[in-house]
Amino acid sequence: MAGTFWQSIKEETQRSYSSIFESSWPGWLAGIFLAILALMIFMWHSPWGITAGFRNWGDWIIFGLGLSTERPVPPWLSTTSVTNLGLLAGAFASALMARQFKIRSAPAYEYLKGAVGGAFMGIGAALAAGCNIGGFYNAIGMFSMGGYAMMIGLGIGAYIGLRFLIWELEKFPQQAAGPPKIKKPQAKPMINWGQVSPFAGGAVLLMVVAAFYLYSAQGHTQLGGLFFFGTLIGITMHRSRMCFVRAFREPFMTGDAEMIRVIAMSLMIYGMGSAVIKWSYLQPEMMGVYHPFWLGSLTGGIIFGFGMLLAGGCGTGSLWRAGEGHTKLMLTLVFFSIFNSLGYRVVHHTGLTEKIGSGIFMPEVFGWELALPLYMLFLLAWVFWAVWNEKTEKFVVF
Amino acid sequence: MDPTTIKADQFLDTSGLSCPMPLLKTKKMLKELAPGQILHILGTDPGSKNDIPDFGNKNGNEFLGMYDADDGSTNYFIRKG
Repeated sequence: MAGTFWQSIKEETQRSYSSIFESSWPGWLAGIFLAILALMIFMWHSPWGITAGFRNWGDWIIFGLGLSTERPVPPWLSTTSVTNLGLLAGAFASALMARQFKIRSAPAYEYLKGAVGGAFMGIGAALAAGCNIGGFYNAIGMFSMGGYAMMIGLGIGAYIGLRFLIWELEKFPQQAAGPPKIKKPQAKPMINWGQVSPFAGGAVLLMVVAAFYLYSAQGHTQLGGLFFFGTLIGITMHRSRMCFVRAFREPFMTGDAEMIRVIAMSLMIYGMGSAVIKWSYLQPEMMGVYHPFWLGSLTGGIIFGFGMLLAGGCGTGSLWRAGEGHTKLMLTLVFFSIFNSLGYRVVHHTGLTEKIGSGIFMPEVFGWELALPLYMLFLLAWVFWAVWNEKTEKFVVF
Repeated sequence: MDPTTIKADQFLDTSGLSCPMPLLKTKKMLKELAPGQILHILGTDPGSKNDIPDFGNKNGNEFLGMYDADDGSTNYFIRKG
């Protein structure tokens, strides 16, 4: 009987490994996980963000170039940078375990679009005080009105960006036709990466756990936790290929409403959790409410939306795709970081911050009793609009 | 149908491109085909493995199948409806 016992454990382990780390996760599952993880980060430390971490990296580049004398916080001690590094590690581990990690190069012109898109996103995120996470997902979940302004801006920016991509397609027609090239079979490599890769992924995950204990031993338990949660978000996003760009682009491109369903549902869970935490004063009410409503969020959203279409990735999307090995999106991250650091300086040293708006807390305007139903109805309306558009393609331009 | 035996009328190479370019190019190329013609798409972006089959079954088109090449790229076939 012992044989069959171990046999069944082995079979079950293989089955679980395959369904968790090899097959892709349904979008709705990832939406639930994302909301739970974002709530955990909110209770553990402060609302989840991305941009401040990029800015920390950009500050280092600018400091390294000698353009600034102010020495930034080390990337492993800056909270948002640590979550980002975790996200990167999680996506990297997840890609390795799925045997999908590969250094992927792109045509030269794509790198240009990646760099310019990154620069636009950096500037947009400086104006809106956050990217698609900090300025939109989190802002809405934290009941900060700026989130809605940025959402409208992202839609407008995505529309303009899609128009640009279509113009580019028409202007530079592809060299079509011709039969596919038959590629010569390559010589067998020395190491069979297909077999090694899942173990390498597992090793990365073990290192993440080790990093938590290391942080904890140094008296930085909070940072260790942020790194760990970031890793879980990276795995979630990579396994489901969660793409915020899609939620803003597809209504105009294919009409597909899937990602809007996922994000709206995720926001409903996130909002309920955040209401529980804020209404009961587990965390301060105004925490995460700092978005420049409405001018900064709206214009930042437009600029960011255009940039994310060019780059083919947003704040989180660029991160997890970089973790999967896309060199174009690694370049996007570099330009996002530099231009966010520069843009932030401009916005904060020129007094622009006072002119583009301030953080407005939704329950302060409507009261909790009205703010919550409005919140839910708004998200429902977004989904219904997207589903209607999916059927009728009323907003599809291409 | 065994996808390796499909004879296509038009070929589109999206190697090296990442989301959304493979899908955008596929959509444009499909517009130029006559109904019943088959488009062969070659791609390297892992995201395309979900996107292209989903998209290929929309608007009356039919997704015929896909297969992986030895070098990790994937071949997709869509018949225009």
